[in-house]
Amino acid sequence: MRENQTVVCRCEEVTLEELLKTIQTYKCSSRELKLRTRAGMGVCGGRTCRASLDHLISQKEGINPTDSIPLKYQPPIRPITFKNLGDI
Amino acid sequence: MIDVIVIGGGPAGLSAANTCARNGLQVLVLDEFMKPGGRLLGQLHEEPDGEWWNGIKEASVLASNADNLGVDVKLGVSVHNLQSDKGNWIVFTNKGKFRSTNLLLATGAAETPLPLPGWTLPGVMSIGAAQVMTNVHRVKVGEKGVIVGMNILSFAIMRELRLAGIQVDQVLLPPRNELSTESSNPLKIIDDLSEAAHLAPGFIMKWGAKLMRVKALRKIGLSFYPSNGFKIWDVPIQLKQAVVEILGDKKVEGVKVVKLNTKGDPIPGAEKIVEADFVCIAGGLYPLVELAAISGCPFHYIPELGGHIPLHNERMETPVDGLYVSGNITGIESAKIAMAQGVVAGLSISQKVTKRIKLEEMTKAIEHVHDVRAKSIIQFHPDIQKGRKKIEKLWNHYYQEKKQTKIPSIENSI
Repeated sequence: MRENQTVVCRCEEVTLEELLKTIQTYKCSSRELKLRTRAGMGVCGGRTCRASLDHLISQKEGINPTDSIPLKYQPPIRPITFKNLGDI
Repeated sequence: MIDVIVIGGGPAGLSAANTCARNGLQVLVLDEFMKPGGRLLGQLHEEPDGEWWNGIKEASVLASNADNLGVDVKLGVSVHNLQSDKGNWIVFTNKGKFRSTNLLLATGAAETPLPLPGWTLPGVMSIGAAQVMTNVHRVKVGEKGVIVGMNILSFAIMRELRLAGIQVDQVLLPPRNELSTESSNPLKIIDDLSEAAHLAPGFIMKWGAKLMRVKALRKIGLSFYPSNGFKIWDVPIQLKQAVVEILGDKKVEGVKVVKLNTKGDPIPGAEKIVEADFVCIAGGLYPLVELAAISGCPFHYIPELGGHIPLHNERMETPVDGLYVSGNITGIESAKIAMAQGVVAGLSISQKVTKRIKLEEMTKAIEHVHDVRAKSIIQFHPDIQKGRKKIEKLWNHYYQEKKQTKIPSIENSI
């Protein structure tokens, strides 16, 4: 298996290759990377791959971590039913 | 009316809940898992004095105290949103809405992944999952496996697996690739672990001394580190070998391992296959701050504490009115520290509600956190004290600025 075929976002099945290509093409932030590839937008809410996405951006774009959280957290932070969603 | 909702029924949350209940507060604890105790449930290790720390026992003491004190502990409840409404918190869950005047976030930590080729195969799990399977569910994770990643947590759980009769064949480094962090750098690992050995000679006596010797020689790289590693509790620790791929058709069958030279670089062609039916990935922990972020609490990036941390003071207060934090959400440390912090948070909340907590009691509880930290045998980050000082300084700075701009600062001063 080639290293670049490694799945980074398991929920949305986004590979390292796809992420690297997107970073190279768009020179983007973690948020833009997320919106372009859907990495971090699956059922786990990015709890698994968020650290990897931030790491890739800081390596490639040379953006050091700041006090603000790169990938915004927003409700609902857990998968919920439509019935519960109606309650919000 | 509920005085406080505690989110997270682990060591920090339950200690805080019990402290609040002892001071006469109405307390509701919400936890996602079906058993109370959080990560305590997985813990089993030997203390320097030879005593065993049995997390299941600690959890049951906390839970039965909660029961006796009339704390309402609701299990299997997931919180998905928070809102602040006229001095009240509304907590949205899969079991409906709950309201309270105060809120304590004790949500703990999550595991940092180490993505590598083949890590989505069945039989690959995080080291924390292996711990829960073994000690909580009593399910054998496999016959013979390897651990990828070297840190305090992976060594502690390696021993737990062995105590449960599960063979851990060896502990190996993660690969050095686009996604790897310092966790793939053997020299950094030697630094971190030998630092830990210095702080905790009892716990890691057996291998601490060996690491110190390696550290003394680190200027010349890994030249003197044995190619087949040294053993901790009979398991070889391979600082000169990295897993580059997890192999298998429908499930894990083995790992492809590459040898590293004295600088930690892979030696071309020096690959071998190690058979295994399970693989544990140990990338470390980071504070689980989702709810704190939604609450609007300011954050600071403090690597010594594990990443982005909600601003808080030593009384476990945040700048958000009626919002408190304790445990690993404030920085990655041991369960004992989480318990001590929980008591402090409980006293702060009780003071806000009853105004009857004595300053002396609060001071003693904060000193207890310091004591436990100084004696802590498991140091997740060698510079934890530095991280704690940083957040304290940031709090004071924030508070000073608030005073100058005459924005009503948080009350609740004792």
